[in-house]
Amino acid sequence: MTDIATVAHVGRGPRTVSLRWLLLAPAIMFIAIVFGLPLMYLVRMSFNLHPPDGTYVEAWTLKNYITVLTNPLQLATIGMTVYISLVTAAITVTGSFIFAHFVWGQKGKLRTVLLAIALGPMLVSEISVIIGWRMFFPSNGLLSYSLIWTGLADEKINLLATQTAAVVGLSYISMPYCFFTILSVLNGIDRNLLTASGDLGASPVRTFFRVLLPLTKGALASAFTQAFVFTMGIYATTNALGPDSLWTMGYEIQRQMLSRRDWPLASAIAVVLVVIITLAALMAQWLRHRKGRGHA
Amino acid sequence: MSSTLQLRRVVKRYGDSVAVDAIDLAVEQGEFLTLLGPSGCGKTTTLRLIGGMDWPDAGTIEINGVRVDNLPSHKRDTVTVFQSGALFPHLTVAENVAYGLKMRGVPRADISPRVKRMLDVVRMGAFVGRYPAEMSGGQRQRVALARAMVVEPSILLFDEPMSALDLKMRIELRSEIRRLHEEVGFTAVFVTHDQSEAMALSDRIAVMNKGKIVQIGTPIEIFERPSNEFVYTFVGESCSMNIDEQSELHLSQRPTSPQRLYLRPSHLRLVNGSGAENFVAARVTDIEYLGGMYRVHAEANGCRLFFDSTEAPELGPNHVVKIGWNSDDATYFPVS
Repeated sequence: MTDIATVAHVGRGPRTVSLRWLLLAPAIMFIAIVFGLPLMYLVRMSFNLHPPDGTYVEAWTLKNYITVLTNPLQLATIGMTVYISLVTAAITVTGSFIFAHFVWGQKGKLRTVLLAIALGPMLVSEISVIIGWRMFFPSNGLLSYSLIWTGLADEKINLLATQTAAVVGLSYISMPYCFFTILSVLNGIDRNLLTASGDLGASPVRTFFRVLLPLTKGALASAFTQAFVFTMGIYATTNALGPDSLWTMGYEIQRQMLSRRDWPLASAIAVVLVVIITLAALMAQWLRHRKGRGHA
Repeated sequence: MSSTLQLRRVVKRYGDSVAVDAIDLAVEQGEFLTLLGPSGCGKTTTLRLIGGMDWPDAGTIEINGVRVDNLPSHKRDTVTVFQSGALFPHLTVAENVAYGLKMRGVPRADISPRVKRMLDVVRMGAFVGRYPAEMSGGQRQRVALARAMVVEPSILLFDEPMSALDLKMRIELRSEIRRLHEEVGFTAVFVTHDQSEAMALSDRIAVMNKGKIVQIGTPIEIFERPSNEFVYTFVGESCSMNIDEQSELHLSQRPTSPQRLYLRPSHLRLVNGSGAENFVAARVTDIEYLGGMYRVHAEANGCRLFFDSTEAPELGPNHVVKIGWNSDDATYFPVS
């Protein structure tokens, strides 16, 4: 990270600055048009009013935000979304770390195969992923049959439409991002550090807590944020694998937008979602910089 | 009284290849022993077996008379100084040096004075609060040295600790290690492919080739009485010629059976007339200026010879010269 920062500072003369902006201009314009304008439109919409017989009427009101932040149902939705995202992020990061740590120690063909497996979830669409898990979790699904076949269960088990299924599905989708974030940091660590730690008398467990974890905590924090942010915004997976009671912000936006045709309220929920995600990202950034002193 | 380190018939295989081939080795208390050999000769593997970073396939390893070949690295009383230094980047110099003491359960109150004393010994006392990224390669290796020495292990292992440094730093750190060995008196097994390093540091050198120790002895023994061709050619510069009936050269004593003659370039000189016991007529092929001296390359009987001369040779390439040497300086090995 230090290297990139150093490189960016090199040759920052007045001429290179203007040239840099010039070169960046197309990309910035693209982002402004594709992301900036809709976001501004969304924010504007969130201050409008919802008439009983239409989608919105122009206004400047805080009514929608008051609803989102005081209505118990809305608050429960926010709470549930944050909770599911935190649980998913924790599981995803743990799983990714274990898998990345394993891949880190491999060479040659096996490593390539493992990397391909890790990329798997990114190669299929979210819908295919959902269909796959829907065939895995129900009482007539693969999981149920395997458990009976191996003798681990006596009766058929249904996990479809449970929080577990939702969390598994969400973790599966966000796993590749976390995995590659963590693996890239592991790849930058000299394996001799672990050998040296053992050599100096540390057991593998102490080596993990004293060397490996401190060196990867930055990566784990950004992987966690990634998974959290990703999960916060996902709507289909939670809906298709989770129970009806799993009412997430994504689902609520959809419901307000399409069923109740309350565009201003849907926009306000969306803005709150964006704000939560932004805060999470900023907090992770801040934590990393605070902890990363001295050895970044 | 048993040796500090004792290896008996130690074998390590990787797949079909034998990395370490039934090695026997004993290192005494306070001794500085170097494993010297080309890359792939098994010297680093031997070191890893001693340190517990690899498991032998056969044989036993004892430290102070206790078998350790079934113990993991963290339960052996050895500490390694790695080629990369392997300092923990998230810890300061002081924390790095304290690491081994903490892991070995040394009382907290004793740690800080020991760390301070050891950093003073390696002349890094002013760097306690620095992180590894804020130091040069040579400084990092000094800290790595302190980190290993501070726990006072039975044996210090060195895995080519200077090969990543530039020449000047290497020579400086080399004399530093020599000084520390004299002052502290640790027992060391040092791995290197650099013969000058081995010569300068070691009480004894074990020359390794193809997984075996081919000769073990003091630096002087190794250099002056090499037991075979490999040692002769690996340690120090050398020239060689096949000697048979057809060879055109003047020898005071001609060997009876076909032999190969080995000579050190430092023993060769240009001679006039018959002013030497032994000489050969050679055609000069090239003269290099090496700064302060000239290296003369020549060819005789289809073999290449070279030697250094402080004065610029008057004869240029393609002239035929006489190169002479003393009988005592010649070494013969049977033609293999």
